[in-house]
Amino acid sequence: MADVVRFASMGTRVELHRFGAGEDDALTAAQRAIEAVDNALTIHRPSATTALNERLMAGQGAGIDDPLLFDALVAIEELQAATLGLFDPAADRRFASAGWSAIAFDRNSARIEASMPVALDFGGFGKGFALDRACAVLRAKGVVSACLSAGESSIAVVGEHPLGGGWPFSIPHPLRPDEILVELELIDESVSISSTVGAGTAAPERAAMIRPIDATIVSAPRCSVAVDRLGAHAEAMSTALLVADEAQAECLLHGDRTRRFLFDFPRGAAIPINQPG
Amino acid sequence: MTEKDFDLSRRSFIDRVLMATAGAGMAAAVPWASAAVGAAPLAKSDRVRLGVIGTGDRGRALIQNIAKTRNCTVAAICDNFELHLAKGRALVDPSTRTFTDHRAMLDAGGLDAVVIATPLDLHKRHSFDAFDAGLHVWCEKAMARTIDDCGAMVKRTQDSGTVLQIGHQRMFKPTYLNAVKRAKEGEIGAITQIRASWHRQSSWRRPVPAGATDRQINWRLYRDSSAGLMTELATHQIQVSNLFFDAVPTRVMGSGSICFWKDGREVYDHVALIYEYAGGRKLIYTSLLNNARYGCEEQIQGSKGTIEPELGRIYQELPPKELALLRMQADVASGHKRAVPIGGATWFAELPVTTPGEPLGWGEYDETMLQFEGFGEAVRTGKPLPGLLSQAYSASVASLLGEQAMDSGQILNWPTSLVAI
Ligand SMILES: NC(=O)c1ccc[n+]([C@@H]2O[C@H](COP(=O)([O-])OP(=O)(O)OC[C@H]3O[C@@H](n4cnc5c(N)ncnc54)[C@H](O)[C@@H]3O)[C@@H](O)[C@H]2O)c1
Repeated sequence: MADVVRFASMGTRVELHRFGAGEDDALTAAQRAIEAVDNALTIHRPSATTALNERLMAGQGAGIDDPLLFDALVAIEELQAATLGLFDPAADRRFASAGWSAIAFDRNSARIEASMPVALDFGGFGKGFALDRACAVLRAKGVVSACLSAGESSIAVVGEHPLGGGWPFSIPHPLRPDEILVELELIDESVSISSTVGAGTAAPERAAMIRPIDATIVSAPRCSVAVDRLGAHAEAMSTALLVADEAQAECLLHGDRTRRFLFDFPRGAAIPINQPG
Repeated sequence: MTEKDFDLSRRSFIDRVLMATAGAGMAAAVPWASAAVGAAPLAKSDRVRLGVIGTGDRGRALIQNIAKTRNCTVAAICDNFELHLAKGRALVDPSTRTFTDHRAMLDAGGLDAVVIATPLDLHKRHSFDAFDAGLHVWCEKAMARTIDDCGAMVKRTQDSGTVLQIGHQRMFKPTYLNAVKRAKEGEIGAITQIRASWHRQSSWRRPVPAGATDRQINWRLYRDSSAGLMTELATHQIQVSNLFFDAVPTRVMGSGSICFWKDGREVYDHVALIYEYAGGRKLIYTSLLNNARYGCEEQIQGSKGTIEPELGRIYQELPPKELALLRMQADVASGHKRAVPIGGATWFAELPVTTPGEPLGWGEYDETMLQFEGFGEAVRTGKPLPGLLSQAYSASVASLLGEQAMDSGQILNWPTSLVAI
């Protein structure tokens, strides 16, 4: 038996495919979990995050009441450290000094303060974080085989492929779609793909990749891929790789060369892709 | 076509109308349709005797349709232009009386009703004269050249206790009836917008034969006799919109221009209007004469789907599927395992959906014929087909109000002084 739900959330198309065992309402419950994360972390309509941003931009501290936002901040603090500070949801192209370093988050008191006006944009992290929640719900509901996608750049799988073994994915070359950059097999893992080129990067709501060190926009043609047990970690890592300089990239890739990839394309290869808008 | 074939196709046509009108709420939504299909066939000698005024293009099409009915007959024809009268004569029994003056036809008697297919500005005069002669009237759309004249026609038929029926054939067309039924059953959800267009690639100018004047033949292009695209084309579609919204507009705004055919015509060759309905619903209407790409259609847009009655299609709103994942599903089902390509676009514009949709209805037989069977029944019983005149009145008023909105550049509210039906 296979079933699927499709819906729009987090500014993208979400699909949840379940194969075999599990409770009847597993997919619906997973959908609710994703929508709950979107409701808490979105900056495109009023949410716990926009309320927090208003205070931080006004130079005020704030208590974090929303449990999802709290968990997200805890994860971000860890990922900040794990990515040499390169994954930074507070980076702002207007102010080089703005960023997570301006933020003091105290888990014990659930309070956040900032030394200058900052605003959080969870971007891709939110998608990975939401998929993690959905995977947890599916497992709790007895699902042993599922594939979740939030847009085509964030994928998570539960268990093994329905025919056994890993879930095979291939990542096409963003500029030459007939070529494959890398093939991966996933079991109980997530993959995140970040790119400065290719279809979709010119989309109006797609936040530009900002290098936290100097607040410049990364424009070199580049694509990064990261696999991790957790989607939130995969997202943070692929973002960090995309904005890393050579030494930083070497350091991050060194952590796991079979699960992290960075592809630099020659500048001339970056044919702009026109998107109707 | 043999008699038997005719009976079969007629039967299947009537069956389609019956099926389409059978649903819950349909008797209230389109009461005229079921009344029309129920019309009793009459012996030749008992048929309702019609005198046709105007044997131009439309008048002749009507004559041919009347001939197919089982309760009406053309007893006389009239046209003040000999060439057109001769063309009409060729379609009727040689014993049919012909006239060049409609008053002479009315005075000659022997009629139960008249059929008016003359230019728009003459509809009022011809119908008044018929009412005064104690006759019922079937009149082509639109009703009349002004909103006041439309109201006067309604008033006159009410006062004289006659039947007045206006020729909006879509109200009898099985695909439309079926579309209304499916919309009523909630298949396309809450309807919030209708996008309608009538786009043509034609000057709309007819060659003027010897013995005729340009204004006589091309009456559609001059303001005295027509509101152009609004009364000739938009009326049909505004009526469809009113039917699906189950309301009349609350106000209208628009822009009209002579944009392409600058050939001395007086009516707009390009109109764009928004008709608002209660609750923020809208009809967005365009008509033009120099591009036929999107043709004639009403796109009835609901929260769950879209109906396009001219194309006869219904479309469901479906979240877009990721093709790669769809293929994975199919692979698994067939015991296949192969790599799923990912990392493509996460964003795409909402391009027009080009899937074919589902067929909505069936081929058509002849709704124009059915209009006359309904009319024949109404004349015979003295009872107008329920609901139809008020539909027609609203559609005519709306088309003329649209003309005024474009002429004045103002947003115009629905008139409060209309005749109650
Ligand atoms: N329901 C539809 O789909 C549809 C389609 C086409 C036309 N129409 C309507 O039919 C009507 C006629 O349109 P048409 O295309 O046939 O135009 P047309 O010009 O071909 O025909 C009008 C006819 O009326 C005749 N006429 C004019 N003044 C007359 C008078 N005083 N007495 C007798 N005859 C007179 C003309 O000589 C002409 O033959 C219009 O109201 C038009 O809107 C409806």
